[in-house]
Amino acid sequence: MGRFLLRRLVTSVVVLAGLAVVTFLMTQVLPGDPARAAAGRNATAEQVAEVRVRLGLDQSLPDQFTGYLGRLLHGDLGTSVFTQRPVLDDVAAMLPASVELVLAAMAINIAVAVPLGVYAAYRRGRAADVAARLITLLGAAVPVFWLGLMLQLVFAAQLRLLPLTGQLAFGQEVPKITGMISLDALLSGNWAAFGDALLHLVLPAVTLAAAFVAVVARTVRSSVITTLDSDYITLARSTGASELRVVVRHGLRNALVPASTILGMQLGWMLGSTVLVEAIFGRTGIGAYAVTAVLQNDLYAVIGTVLVIGVVFVVMNVLVDLVQLWLNPRLRQAGSRERRPEIAVRA
Amino acid sequence: MTSALLSVRDLRASYPGPAGPVQVVHGVDLDLARGEKLALVGESGSGKSVTARAILRLDTDATLSGRVELDGADLLTLPPRRMRAVRGARIGLVFQDPLAALNPVMTIGWQITQPLVIRGVPKKAARRRGVELLARLGVRDAERRFDDYPHQFSGGMRQRVVIAIAVIADPDLLIADEPTTSLDVRVQARVLELLHELTDERDMAVLLITHDLGIVAGFADRAVVMRHGRAVETGPVDDIYRSPRHEYTRALLAAVPRIGGDHTRPLVTIKEGGQ
Repeated sequence: MGRFLLRRLVTSVVVLAGLAVVTFLMTQVLPGDPARAAAGRNATAEQVAEVRVRLGLDQSLPDQFTGYLGRLLHGDLGTSVFTQRPVLDDVAAMLPASVELVLAAMAINIAVAVPLGVYAAYRRGRAADVAARLITLLGAAVPVFWLGLMLQLVFAAQLRLLPLTGQLAFGQEVPKITGMISLDALLSGNWAAFGDALLHLVLPAVTLAAAFVAVVARTVRSSVITTLDSDYITLARSTGASELRVVVRHGLRNALVPASTILGMQLGWMLGSTVLVEAIFGRTGIGAYAVTAVLQNDLYAVIGTVLVIGVVFVVMNVLVDLVQLWLNPRLRQAGSRERRPEIAVRA
Repeated sequence: MTSALLSVRDLRASYPGPAGPVQVVHGVDLDLARGEKLALVGESGSGKSVTARAILRLDTDATLSGRVELDGADLLTLPPRRMRAVRGARIGLVFQDPLAALNPVMTIGWQITQPLVIRGVPKKAARRRGVELLARLGVRDAERRFDDYPHQFSGGMRQRVVIAIAVIADPDLLIADEPTTSLDVRVQARVLELLHELTDERDMAVLLITHDLGIVAGFADRAVVMRHGRAVETGPVDDIYRSPRHEYTRALLAAVPRIGGDHTRPLVTIKEGGQ
């Protein structure tokens, strides 16, 4: 178990180092002169040259890279030319709202995809299976911006069931504790604001989740099918267990191992996909921040966003490993050489 | 047969195949009295395992016909809920491959106590009975090992766990489907012995399914020989050994290698087509 975790942590460090290299290269190849952008539009040539020296952009590439790495390790992601604040502070202010959106979308994703996948596996080849596949595929095939607009049109504009945009209705006040509005409302005991924040989350979360449900449902379906064909499921049946118990108590845990890998990666992808959703629904967040940064040619803000999303991705993967340790006792054995993809398949 | 516990009449089983249903069992008759040990013998593919699973209706894709009576009630027409009450509680099943038959992500204790827990036995009481049974089956330090996972057990120990799952709810009939095939020879004998003792103690009838005539003699009272989905010979084990009536049974007996026999003689194979 210790060795398993250690190996994962070493891998994570390697990935983070790779991320640093890639983001550094981005500063070199992206169009636009960072010195000019930082100096401002009306700066003179002398002012731009001065900024270039101040930012260390006149040094050799290796020197620039070591300097960049050193600043990263100190948590210095540079200063946004647009907000004139440290990028790290900006991102830290923006991240919670996006995390809130991603968690809500993930909850919807799991709540829909897992039962759907299990049911489709149980009724494989029949009408329910085909219908489930069609619906999820539709969700994956529809472009995010179109789906978002359609949901707004139907549920907000026509039926007036849910708010059109934003994160909280006018007049609602929530103290800033975690930065996630719904959680802050809950922590401060403001139930009205909590309900309102949740209502504001529904449409964006559904829009964000739609593209991810199909993959999870299909993974769950195929691993449940493999599991249901195994001897230990027949054995469970032979003890007199009900079908529901056979599938859920005896089968699901095995079947969820491959799905947990996918779900962990999806958390990272979702954070990257907040860009469009936050723009459509007028929410603040790291996606909206990235869009502004790109439009403003705000190089360090763009790179900072990429870095933070990358770090979140790596952290999520470590969390997934912990979940898998819990799901699969064979991994807990010291010195186990087993790897993730083989787990669901029976020996 | 005075009090038949299990009575199978004209059991047929077919499975969906690419070119329509394929019939695998073509009318098998079996009778098993309370406490009796019956061996169902045949080569692989003779339909003996399918017969065992058909008795418990375990294959959801199989089409079954005929009658399978347990104490006079036909299992083939039982509604699902009442069928579940039969499985595990009145008929236990021991699987062939103990590695595949145990759930890798659940503790063996959880798995052993399931037949009791789903019938409302409190967890503590179920655990006590499970530990007792496991100790009876020769698992050392059963109390501590109860919370271990299947991968922490050897093959022979795993098979004891599978047996424990099958007998913990005290069924009247134990179906053992090739219970020793995947074990090495030394362990085979011990597991078979345990199975014999345990079922005697609890007055359980046993339907032993095997391809190995060598283990039948010491275990079963009577034997049914199956081939191509049909029962070709039935009788007391001694009679079948001494004077096999069916040509196939003779061939099967001749194919058992014997210690002290003429080892220069080639091993006998059974010719196809001799129905």
